[in-house]
Amino acid sequence: MDEKNGIVIETHGLSKSFGQVQALRGVDLRVPRHSIFGFLGPNGAGKTTLMKVLLGLSRPTAGSGTIFGHDILTESVAIRERIGYLPQQPRFIEHMTARENLVFAAKFFFSGPQAKIQQRCDEMLELAGLADKADRPIKGFSGGEKQRLGIALAQVNYPDLLILDEPASALDPLGRQAVLDVMARLRKYTTIFYSTHILDDVQRVSDTVAILNRGELVASGPIEQILNGKDGVVYTVALKGAPSGLGERLAELPWVAHTAVAPRNGTSIWQVSVSNEAAAEKNLLRYVLADPAVTVIEFSRKKYELEEIFIEIVKGDDDGC
Amino acid sequence: MAANLELERVKERNGLRGFSNLFRKENRAWWGTRRWWINALLWTVLLGGLTAIMLFASGEEISEATEAEITQAGGLLAYILSLGLNVFFQFGIPVLAIGTVILAQDLIIGEKQSGVAEWLLSKPVTRRAYVLAKVAANALAVFALLVGLPSVVAYGLLSLRMGAPFPLMPFLSATGIMAVHTLFYLTLTLMLGTIFNSRGPILGIALGSVLGGGMLGNLVKPLLYVTPWMLPKVAVLTATGQAITAEMGIASLVATALWSVVFIFVAFTKFEKMEC
Repeated sequence: MDEKNGIVIETHGLSKSFGQVQALRGVDLRVPRHSIFGFLGPNGAGKTTLMKVLLGLSRPTAGSGTIFGHDILTESVAIRERIGYLPQQPRFIEHMTARENLVFAAKFFFSGPQAKIQQRCDEMLELAGLADKADRPIKGFSGGEKQRLGIALAQVNYPDLLILDEPASALDPLGRQAVLDVMARLRKYTTIFYSTHILDDVQRVSDTVAILNRGELVASGPIEQILNGKDGVVYTVALKGAPSGLGERLAELPWVAHTAVAPRNGTSIWQVSVSNEAAAEKNLLRYVLADPAVTVIEFSRKKYELEEIFIEIVKGDDDGC
Repeated sequence: MAANLELERVKERNGLRGFSNLFRKENRAWWGTRRWWINALLWTVLLGGLTAIMLFASGEEISEATEAEITQAGGLLAYILSLGLNVFFQFGIPVLAIGTVILAQDLIIGEKQSGVAEWLLSKPVTRRAYVLAKVAANALAVFALLVGLPSVVAYGLLSLRMGAPFPLMPFLSATGIMAVHTLFYLTLTLMLGTIFNSRGPILGIALGSVLGGGMLGNLVKPLLYVTPWMLPKVAVLTATGQAITAEMGIASLVATALWSVVFIFVAFTKFEKMEC
């Protein structure tokens, strides 16, 4: 059995309650194969709970899900055979060294040959930059080293899916960059499903994003689509002069969805949401320039930052509650 | 991935997937650290030492013993040997139970609280394999270091005092009873670790049974036949070659062994439902 239509993780109405607290509310998720899927949400949104449900560490109260086409409830061991998991706070067997932990983790998947297992562990130590500390006790490791070892442990079985819970949160900027580089390199071998609150990281490496708020999936899709914002493609036009009836004339255009104007230092800033990007790209500026009373001093397609979108979506969702 | 081709995948029965690796890890926690020799030394010195004192330096007890007691035992040597056996089994069995509870109380709950259990269960491992590996590896270590080694030393001391080998079968039978008693407390403690999330109730219930069980059994006699509380006395009688009634010895021994099986099944069930 394998994933259908290139979808690695698929959930339908996945819900989880802890007593009166509803941690997940009917989550419908689709994670495409070989994507770096950034999973965002404020603290307590249910990100870790969802990951645990997917891994079979926690049971859903309703709904269903599959990973590689295997049911998350009844075929959890087969799923975990192909997964690497990094918990939010990586844990190890403390009386073992880094190398021993890796060999131990590898032996859940591989029975031999021993030399090949050792070789794989050496590769992982090298990748994590821990080759020189391989035989030291774990208890002397810094937080960053533990995080890197955790990532190495998650990859020791050549997983088809990596589930990483806040993989870079405990790292300094260099460590974070190293983790992001590793994730980018792994894209061609594996699917990465990771949670984070560092939105900049998501924007740098993710191709698909989902936003979870109060246990509910409030946005999901390719990052370009999410970055377009909920108003779709928006053009910003800064005008000098006094345009007469420009708003009404724009509103009559079939591909203009919405306009908004705000004054700024003697100019007027127009935000034009369009439903047909191609038509807007070709005609919008031409249309505005046709008015001899105005001078266009700036014309650009509005670029959203993920943080802006995230706050807008989460705040909007909270206000709606 | 291509690199996978050279590595051989683990082939293990689905129901016990991960057992071998977890069993190795549990064994390593005993035999790959200083834990094994500390325990070997502690229990051998404690139980062997007290037995040696009774066998070789028990002048005061002997001087206080009445002629009738010595005659009833079958002579002075038999009386001295019975003192040694009493210390080793009647005192030693509950002491080993306490030691087992203390050693085992953290095995599951510690990993639950630290997140190690969550990490292990994210691997291709069944929860049954996790519990069984704990039971098997720790039973092996406890039998070898807490029961086996001190028993070998005690047997040697008894033989030395006798000037000839001590009767083997009665001693082995009594050691078997000691092992069943210890297994009861090991499985009880592990089961409690799957039920509770703090150490208080585990220690309270398990140690309460060791220390207060006998008293409770004396108040409610039938309890003695379905619990391990009478086994220290049964072990002494067995070792001295005295006849024990079926209901006194066999019933409590079988019940104790059955309880251990029940505890393992309850641990399976509870751990299966545990949320990480």
